[in-house]
Amino acid sequence: MSKIQQLSIFLENRPGQLTDITTLLSQNQLSIKSINLIDSSDYGILRVIVDDSQKAKEILDDAGISLKIVEVFAVEIDNHLGSFNEVASLLSTHGINIQYTYTINTTQNGAFIFKVEPTLLDKTIELLKQNGIKILEDIRS
Amino acid sequence: MVYNEIESAKREELEELELKRLQSTVERVYSLSTFYKEKFDELGITPKDITSLEDIKKLPFTTKKDLRAHYPFGLFTVPMSEVARIHSSSGTTGKPTVVGYTKSDMDVWDEVMARVFTLAGATSKDIVHNAYGYGLFTGGLGFHNGAEKIGAAIVPASAGMTDRQLMLMRDFGASILASTPTFALHMAEVAQKAGSDYLSHYKLKAGIFGAEPTSKGLKKEVSNAWGIDYHEVYGLSEIIGPGVAANCKESDLLHVFEDHFFVEIINPQTGESLPDGQRGELVITPLTKQALPLIRYRTGDITSITKEPCKCGRTLLRMESIVGRVDDMLIISGVNVYPSQIEHVIANTEGVTLNYQIIVDKHGHLDKLEIHIEVSDEIMTDSLGQMGALKKEIQHALLNNLYINAHVVLVQPRSIERSMGKAVRIIDKRKEQ
Ligand SMILES: [Zn+2]
Repeated sequence: MSKIQQLSIFLENRPGQLTDITTLLSQNQLSIKSINLIDSSDYGILRVIVDDSQKAKEILDDAGISLKIVEVFAVEIDNHLGSFNEVASLLSTHGINIQYTYTINTTQNGAFIFKVEPTLLDKTIELLKQNGIKILEDIRS
Repeated sequence: MVYNEIESAKREELEELELKRLQSTVERVYSLSTFYKEKFDELGITPKDITSLEDIKKLPFTTKKDLRAHYPFGLFTVPMSEVARIHSSSGTTGKPTVVGYTKSDMDVWDEVMARVFTLAGATSKDIVHNAYGYGLFTGGLGFHNGAEKIGAAIVPASAGMTDRQLMLMRDFGASILASTPTFALHMAEVAQKAGSDYLSHYKLKAGIFGAEPTSKGLKKEVSNAWGIDYHEVYGLSEIIGPGVAANCKESDLLHVFEDHFFVEIINPQTGESLPDGQRGELVITPLTKQALPLIRYRTGDITSITKEPCKCGRTLLRMESIVGRVDDMLIISGVNVYPSQIEHVIANTEGVTLNYQIIVDKHGHLDKLEIHIEVSDEIMTDSLGQMGALKKEIQHALLNNLYINAHVVLVQPRSIERSMGKAVRIIDKRKEQ
C-alpha cells in the first residue's frame, strides 16, 4: 500500500478545539504521525495522519466531530537537493495538479505529503515509481 | 372547471355580494353577541357604519385569546338546538379552542371543500383516499364531506398504519390523496422500499395537502415522490376548518373563497391595513357563519394577497402559501424576516442539512445575525476554499432574497442545542439584555 489515509478534520473557531481533538486521539492510544493545520478567520481544517485511521474516524464520529478521510501519498526527502522539484515537475509535465503538499519529519528522513485529484492517485504513484522516486509505504515514527 | 360560478364572477359582483354578507354578519353579531355588542359600543360604532368593504377597518379584531376566554360556547350566537357539529383544536397550552357549526355552516363547509376538490381536478369518477385523522380535528371530516359533495368514492382511511394504507391505495386504485404533506412523504418512503418502479402500482394523479406549514422544497419532494399534482389547502377551525383557500392547476397561490371568507392583511404590530402584495398578518372575517361568527379574526399567519387575474379563470383573489407565524417574526436592522424564509434559503443550498440555528444579537447599536450550520458529511471537504464558498453562497442568497446581512458560522455536527430531539432554531439574545 503506497497510499496513506489522512484525516481531514473540521475545526471550529473556538479556543480548545485543537487540543480537544489531539487529547481525544492520544487518550485512545492513537499515535499522531503528522499534523498540519490550515485555517481561515473562523474555521479550519486539521490534516492528521495517525497509525489507525479507521479507529480514529470512529472515535471522532462518536464525539460529533466532522471529518473526511482522504488518500495522500508520501515521498521521502532524498539526500540530494531538488527532490521536491523533481516530483513537482514530473507531475506537472503529465498534467497532474498538486492540490496541496506539506512536509513531515520522521526520525529517519523527512518526507513530503502530496494530495492530488483522487481519480489520478493510482496513476500518479505508478508514474513516480516508474521514474525511480521512492514512495513511502508507511510513515514510521 | 369551477364548482360554483361565483368563483369566476366579475369582481364588482363578488364584492357587492361580500358587502351584503358583511353587513348582515355585523348586524348578526351586534344583536346576538354581548361580546361584540360591548366591543362595538366601546368603539362607538353600529352596523350602520358599514357602508363599504373598506369600512371593515372600523371593526374590532378578534383573537384566539377571546375564544379561549369564552370557553366553551360563550361566543356561539345560536341555541344548542341549532348546533349540528362541534369541533375542537388541541390546545398545546391551556384550554382548547371550541368551534360550532349549524346545518347551514356545514353546507358552506361542504361547498368550499367541494370547490377545493374541483380545483384539484377531482370529479365523481375519482377515488379519494382520505388519510387525514377523523375526529375532533377538522381535517378528516372536512375532506370527507367535500369528497362526498362532488360524488367521489371516499376511502375514510384516517391517519396511521402506513402499510395498510398503502395496500388500500394500491388495491382500490386511489386517484386522489388527501393527507398532511409529511404523512404523504412518509408513505412514499415506505412505498419506495418495494422497488424503484413502485409508482407503477399506484394510480394517484393529484394530492390535496394541508394542515402544516410547507416549504416549496417539501412540496416538490411530495409531488415528485408520488408523481402527482400538488394542491395546497389552507384553513383553520376557528374560521371553518380546511377550505378557506386552495391553489388551482395554474398557480402556486391559493384562491381564497372570499364570498364566504373576507380576508385582509395587516401590520401585526400596528393593526394597520397593508396594500396587496405586502406581507403581513392574515385577518379573516367569515361572511356566512351562523353558529360562531367572528369579526376580523387574527390568524397569526403571515402571507400576502393579490387580485391579479388567474389563468384558470377564477376571479377570486389569491394568497401566498403561509410564510410564517407572527410570533416568530424577527426584526433585523428594520427588516422583517421570518425564520421560514431563512430556512428556505438554507434548504436550497446543496448538501446543507436543516440542522441550523439563528442567533440574533446586538453589536453596539446594530443588530447582528449569525446563522450556525452544522457541517454534515456532505459539506465536509478537505478544502478551505470549498467550505468558504458554501458560506459565501448562503450569505449572498440571504442578502439577495431577504435583504439581510448574516454571518454564516460552520459548527460541528450535533453541536446545536436540541430540545426534544429537534434543533432549537432561534436564539434572540437581544431579548435577554
Ligand atoms: Zn387559478
